[in-house]
Amino acid sequence: MDFIYSIIPAGVLSQVFVGLSRTTILFIVASGLSLILGVLRIPNVAHGSLYMIGAFTAFTVTKIFGSGSAGFWMALIIAPLVVAFISLIAERGMFQFLYEREHLMLLLLTFAFSLVFGDLVKLVWGGEYKSVPVPHIFQGFVPLFGGLPFPLYNLFLLVAGPVVAILLWLLTNKTKIGKIARAAAVDREMVGAVGINVSWVFATVFVIGCYLAGLGGVLVAPTVSVTLGMDHNLIIEAFLIVIMGGLGNIWGALLGALIFGLTQSMGILIWPQFGIIFPYLAVVIVLLFRPTGLLKSTW
Amino acid sequence: MKKTVLLSMSLLFFVGLFMICPLTNAQSTIKVGIVDTYTGPATTFTMDVLDGFKLAVDKINAKGGVLGKKIEYTTRDEKFKPDIGLAMAKELVLKEKVDILMGTINSSTTLAISDFVKKEKVPFFVTFAKSDKIIGEKGHKYVFNMNENTAMAGRAAAVALAKKPYVKYWIAGDDYEYGRAIAENVWNNLKKLKPQVQKVGESWWKVGEADFTPYITQILAAKPDFIIVATGGSGMVNFQKAAKATGLSQKIPFYQHTAIELSVLKPQGQNAPEGVYGTANYFFYYPDTPANKAFVDEFKKAYNREPRIGALSGYMTAQFIAEGYKKAGKIDTEGLIKALEGMSLDSPVGPLAIRGCDHQLELPMYFGVTKKDPKYDFLVAGDIQIIQAKDYMPTCDEVKKVRK
Repeated sequence: MDFIYSIIPAGVLSQVFVGLSRTTILFIVASGLSLILGVLRIPNVAHGSLYMIGAFTAFTVTKIFGSGSAGFWMALIIAPLVVAFISLIAERGMFQFLYEREHLMLLLLTFAFSLVFGDLVKLVWGGEYKSVPVPHIFQGFVPLFGGLPFPLYNLFLLVAGPVVAILLWLLTNKTKIGKIARAAAVDREMVGAVGINVSWVFATVFVIGCYLAGLGGVLVAPTVSVTLGMDHNLIIEAFLIVIMGGLGNIWGALLGALIFGLTQSMGILIWPQFGIIFPYLAVVIVLLFRPTGLLKSTW
Repeated sequence: MKKTVLLSMSLLFFVGLFMICPLTNAQSTIKVGIVDTYTGPATTFTMDVLDGFKLAVDKINAKGGVLGKKIEYTTRDEKFKPDIGLAMAKELVLKEKVDILMGTINSSTTLAISDFVKKEKVPFFVTFAKSDKIIGEKGHKYVFNMNENTAMAGRAAAVALAKKPYVKYWIAGDDYEYGRAIAENVWNNLKKLKPQVQKVGESWWKVGEADFTPYITQILAAKPDFIIVATGGSGMVNFQKAAKATGLSQKIPFYQHTAIELSVLKPQGQNAPEGVYGTANYFFYYPDTPANKAFVDEFKKAYNREPRIGALSGYMTAQFIAEGYKKAGKIDTEGLIKALEGMSLDSPVGPLAIRGCDHQLELPMYFGVTKKDPKYDFLVAGDIQIIQAKDYMPTCDEVKKVRK
């Protein structure tokens, strides 16, 4: 290890890994957004609200099952499913009737949903901010990189990110529904013409995308205060990531999230007073050279 | 013939009665208009102001009101937007004809309303906004400040920190007015009180930053003795969580204004980090006096939760309004202002006075450190030091200088 530190200082290495763990949540949320954008052509502004609902539901589930590790694992299972269920109702109840309309209609509808969800969260959980404890097994930190502490929970996120990425890859490339969805993204009329119920394909993709938003919400909950308005920040970042990576491209979302997370953590190291501008600078630079995003856009 | 005369006479009587009634009604109450944020995260704080105010008003009205008049109030939600807030204040003054305005948690709204009441000559009681301009540069005769501001918090913290052995400081905070103002005020006052302190670095993040871990690893690598962290609202919880997860709270002590306050510590339960320094104006468990106990019991009975700083400022605002009019002897704005200058009242935290020169409530500030307490399932403030108002408030001369 000493050899590595002689090339890259420990502080930098630690910062890279912190940046990578942050990337996990950005990637999970953005990939869901990208999936919906690619297949259904919906710029889902309500995606952030679903992420918020995921986090608030995680709070309730950990309250019920206790703040030990069991509570967290139950939240990880239940909360994204709750979000998926809500999205299923929204899709079957509203969105499915608007696919033939202009994108603007869908955009407005998702915006309306984000407002409604925001108020619903306030109605159910109240205006006070909530806190989800870090599960017992991930409390504390390990001294990595020359003794700099690295939170165990971030280590867990570092594992969770690739797991979700691999599962998504398997889902889109190895399963029938994934293949149909990819086909529908390219040419939905053709998919319909060969006798596949496109409506249900869309519903499934929408629900999977929203499930990912909920999952992101649960994963982020132990590291932040769960609060109204947490959706606004995230939705902007998620859209920037999706635009940077190429609209509708899941691997683009991964790449975009990596760039976003890393430029932020590196920026903080280089110029702490202005660390916040680095990811936005990255977005600008990417779009200057590749206006349609880094990878192939499905739009 | 006689019948119709009688009928029209009685009709006239009733019509007249209806016309007079609203007029006499308007004169028989004291109307208070409250403009504040009742949607969004700020509700955590503003509800306490309103509930504290209600509690006091109900008590005053039950005892027969002020000079035979009941206090009546109406609220408006400004949604944390200065333009909406100002429009509502105008509506309350011009249409509802309120005698007094009260609010808000948003500093920009407060300054806008403050400019407006100066022209309309309506007293305005500021209950939560923290900008030091409210009483400083932009202060005037009609504005009263019922809570502390960033300048005062900064000074109070500096007074307490100057007594500690730390030399190498790191400054971090929200990149907007509140964060910058708190950090600057702590740092500049600290440098004055203890010239040998040095700044080893700074970091500024966007308001609402969720994940502080990358910032903390950066600070840890720089190894300062102490960190001044200027975040507000839910950011406090975010930072404390990250500080615990990275072990920062065990390695390098840090200070946050209001870190030791109930609204930050209660949501975290037993998981909040110990050893975090902070300042706050009110705790439901301190001072352990009968007056505070009685207030807490009363508040708990009415709302089923412990009061926080906002509850105290709402409660005291109602008391000052009532006592001010009583002292003035009539319901009159100029009389009220005159009466309030220098007036002192008993409060849950001991006697509190409104300073004559700038209309600032002289609240004591508590400096303490978070610790576990077997009595509660959340952390509380320990080692509390009282910093008296005279030790941290700007002097009247200083206020006069900036007000020019």
